[in-house]
Amino acid sequence: MVMKVVIDRDLCQGHSVCLGECPEVFDVVEEDEGYPMVKVLIENPPEELRDKVMKAANYCPNSVITIVEE
Amino acid sequence: MTESTATELKQPPKVSGEKPDSGHMEEFNVNFARFLMRCNAECGELAEFNMGGQQTILMSGPEAQEAFLKTLDKKLSRAASYKATVPVFGEGVIFDAPPDRMKTQLKIQVDALRYQNMKNYASVIAEEVEQWVSGWGDEGELDFVDEFIQLTLHTACHCLLGKDFRERMTEEFKNLYHDLEKGLQAIAFVDPYMQQPVFEARDAARARLQELISEIIADRRANSDVEYGDALETFMSGTYKDSTHLTDNEVTGLVIATMFAGHHTSSGTAAWALIEFAKNPEYTAEVLEELTELFKDGQELTFEALREIPKLERFVEEVLRLHPPLILLMRQLLEDVDYNGTLLEAGKTVAISTYGSHRNPGYFPDPEVFNPHREKPDTLWAYIPFGGGPHKCAGNAFAMMQLKSIFAALLPRYDFELVDAPEAYDDDLSAMVLKPTSPSRIRYKRRK
Repeated sequence: MVMKVVIDRDLCQGHSVCLGECPEVFDVVEEDEGYPMVKVLIENPPEELRDKVMKAANYCPNSVITIVEE
Repeated sequence: MTESTATELKQPPKVSGEKPDSGHMEEFNVNFARFLMRCNAECGELAEFNMGGQQTILMSGPEAQEAFLKTLDKKLSRAASYKATVPVFGEGVIFDAPPDRMKTQLKIQVDALRYQNMKNYASVIAEEVEQWVSGWGDEGELDFVDEFIQLTLHTACHCLLGKDFRERMTEEFKNLYHDLEKGLQAIAFVDPYMQQPVFEARDAARARLQELISEIIADRRANSDVEYGDALETFMSGTYKDSTHLTDNEVTGLVIATMFAGHHTSSGTAAWALIEFAKNPEYTAEVLEELTELFKDGQELTFEALREIPKLERFVEEVLRLHPPLILLMRQLLEDVDYNGTLLEAGKTVAISTYGSHRNPGYFPDPEVFNPHREKPDTLWAYIPFGGGPHKCAGNAFAMMQLKSIFAALLPRYDFELVDAPEAYDDDLSAMVLKPTSPSRIRYKRRK
């Protein structure tokens, strides 16, 4: 089982909570127009980052991040 | 879509009880939250009614609400509902700005609510709450609708414009803000430029506020090495694509727009939360136990400490389910839309009701019962106190943090009980933002 980070960009407003919780996996980058958006740096993060990734997903105010196991 | 199929599209079902000329206005004005529930009960997912000549289609249920908030977004305009705000926020600000500039302004507004600033806001709020309760004594009785309006005005002023402004200018700011608020009453939605004393007061207040803010801006630009950690700092540092900064007029407009978005929505929710705590001692005891355990070593209410307080969070979420501050969200259709075989016609208004959605028994069994243990629906689009999609309330994280901070400070210190009979505390639907009826008196007593 490997963690996979799935994001729904339509829901993101760039609050940057994920970046604060787990900068190894998430960045927030400026877009050509509108809000900055989350960018996933590691789609299948290593197991040792699980806690931080889960925090990023849980604390995201817009429910942008889903973690699936594959 | 071909022309022949276009003619086959159905019209949305019409709500009964329409009167000549006024349509459904009268019934709407009596209790619009209940009227919208009747529309949904009678017609289902789509229900068309007449708001004094403006045909309005209520979209109900998670699928229709997702379409409204997310998938149809590019075909819907928010500007029409906001004409009355132009003289309040200022010309060239947000909905009155060209689309390019509006997008940048909204982005800069959200920047002020990002993670980095939130840490400072958390300590500001904790400080304001301490100051507020310091005069309470061991017991007493207060009208908490009014109390929370004052408290959240202080926190908003402090987070937006900084400590110095909060300490020196709060009284004048209150008066100016009050005049701006009065400028948004019902007649402003007919014509916000009529010759009226309230509109003159509005314009004078808008001009004076800009003067005050321009003074701080000039002062800060002259001392550019100081860090403030407030929203004004973010508004001042943001730039358009051509690297120019926002004008003083635009910065003032963002300050006002942020106040209007965040102030009464937060104060009304806080007042309802306190009433629900007083009404539901068994759930309150659970939250108190959680808080006592989490903060037993006397930690401060920092942003990190406030992130995860699940029972308090579920309690506040249930408050927002039963008492969503904004009940009705509206957009105008910019083009014809085929919604599952029904025509949503350009020019008509489409609307969703948070209040109705949160009382859908399919997703919230026994909807009128306050129960923070209820299961969350398995869709994102049934529970929508902050809307959702690209225009979701950008202050949602700030609002939750502020509410958690207030009650994490209050509950361990005081016990709260209702002064009047429980039925006396009701939803007041007369203003744009839902709040409990005034006065909502609650007795507090220091815990031993």
